[in-house]
Amino acid sequence: MALLFLVLPALIAIPVSLTPKRFLSMPKGDYSWRHFEFLFSSPEWLSSFAQSGIIAVSTAVLATALGTLAAIGLWRVTSKYSEMVRAFLLLPLIIPQIISAMAFYRLLIPLGLLDTYAGLILAHTVLAAPLVLITVSASLANFDPKLEQASRNLGAPAWTTMRRVILPSIRPGVFAGALFAFILSWDEIVVTLFISKFNVYTLPRRMWNGIRENTDPTVAAAAVVLIAVTLGAFAVSAIVSRQRAQTALKED
Amino acid sequence: MREAASDAKSGGLTLSGLTKHFGSFTAVDNVDLDIQRGEFLTLLGPSGSGKTTLLMMIAGFLDITAGDILLDGRSIRDVPAERRNFGMVFQGYALFPHMTVRDNIGYALDVRKRPRAEIAARVDEMLDLVQLTEFGHRKPGQLSGGQQQRVALARALAFAPPVLLLDEPLGALDKKLRIEVQDQLKDIHQRVGTTFVYVTHDQEEALSMSDRIVIMQQGRIEQLGTPNELYEHPRTRFAAGFLGKSNFLTMPDGTYALRPEKIDIAPGGQMNGTARLTGTIRGITYFGAVQKLMVAVEGRDDIEVDVDSWRNPHALREGQPVDLGWSDTAAVRLEDT
Repeated sequence: MALLFLVLPALIAIPVSLTPKRFLSMPKGDYSWRHFEFLFSSPEWLSSFAQSGIIAVSTAVLATALGTLAAIGLWRVTSKYSEMVRAFLLLPLIIPQIISAMAFYRLLIPLGLLDTYAGLILAHTVLAAPLVLITVSASLANFDPKLEQASRNLGAPAWTTMRRVILPSIRPGVFAGALFAFILSWDEIVVTLFISKFNVYTLPRRMWNGIRENTDPTVAAAAVVLIAVTLGAFAVSAIVSRQRAQTALKED
Repeated sequence: MREAASDAKSGGLTLSGLTKHFGSFTAVDNVDLDIQRGEFLTLLGPSGSGKTTLLMMIAGFLDITAGDILLDGRSIRDVPAERRNFGMVFQGYALFPHMTVRDNIGYALDVRKRPRAEIAARVDEMLDLVQLTEFGHRKPGQLSGGQQQRVALARALAFAPPVLLLDEPLGALDKKLRIEVQDQLKDIHQRVGTTFVYVTHDQEEALSMSDRIVIMQQGRIEQLGTPNELYEHPRTRFAAGFLGKSNFLTMPDGTYALRPEKIDIAPGGQMNGTARLTGTIRGITYFGAVQKLMVAVEGRDDIEVDVDSWRNPHALREGQPVDLGWSDTAAVRLEDT
């Protein structure tokens, strides 16, 4: 029951997206793909898909790089300040998004990055990097520090040790972090509303406007695609981790 | 037979006044030690004696609080671990789990950017040395503990280091395997001619493999010598009790250490020669080859006597009165009493 309660609101978009009517409604007996057809033929919607994709992928790449480096740095330096630094880096998760949104707005104006790809990617990266920090730190907690010592002892400089020993061992955490970062950016709306206007028009932003200005069922179709991409990303990660577990099993 | 020999002119280590503090705790306290090129030196001590800390300082993983480490007369104090060129076998082996055995062994040469063919040839040589030729393409997780230990050894020796550091490398193996691996390790030491610095808390390992043993306690060197010297002439109560077993006898001129197997035992009044003590057998524990007899002596601690089972002519029983005797050289006077 609880599960249905959690999932149903998301699933309601599916029948609504199949309505033959021109406004948001539950279909009664007859279904139609017209809203999907419109979604995939409208240049505006397609451009929003592309923009969201570009921003989400860039965010995932940047946030994963930064979050992973931060996690490894905090793992290697055991100082009384490192926990303070870690807490500081996790702040974007704790601060209400609306406050972050205002802060980004104020910050991006003088930088001239308002309503640009760079501005959105920057903002999403700041929001997503803490997620990567958390998942990679969890992987590092299980990493045997003797492996790092062994690599150094065998003559590998720090960078080689990182690339050839540490990264392969924490790969699951890095993947999970990248996935979370992608999804965060893919359906981010609060900050996006503040810092984008005409030039950059992400998918959630277009849906927001679609609902506000007219009750176009294309929004429901877009929601279905949005959910599908998110679920697809999770499915890929689940398959990857299952394969990983199976090879590990075979090795034993 | 030195097929994997390192540069034979290298590998002498000198520790001078080496000290390590962790906050207010002194883990290693002013240690002076000369390690000869090519020798098998064991650091033996209980946990917390500073032996592993000492090894980690030699490896370059711990900063030195005071003192210096010299390799062939040159200070390596400021040389980072990755440029010291010392091989190391870690406790638990620390093999790279995502690499094959071959990639593990070739790692040191690979990061030194040696040509592929040279690495392959060297890996073959090392696999042969540790008798794992058929296992090169497996991952460490697919090997037994003893095989993993040999991979760790091959990996540490692959770049022909002048010094090999071993941190309790046999700790994870069962007893029977441990003895087998001790022989292999000693054999490999002789073949490669590298200086081995071996850390263990196991006195049997220390006795059976080492050229010299350093007994450590509380961050200091308690006694240093060949296995035979240390066993026959322990200078302190700690050395006598930690390496082998000892009875401690308080005499008017000091305390003497007396090994349980050096005591003659006979039923009361039947000792050939002079009986030095008389007592009663309180308990007998049978170990197959030997029997341990605990003898209660009036006014003293119980004395342990080891008797070869096949030589127990008198069929001694519990509760029986006995005479104890030993030769003049058997009891060693300790210096710290």
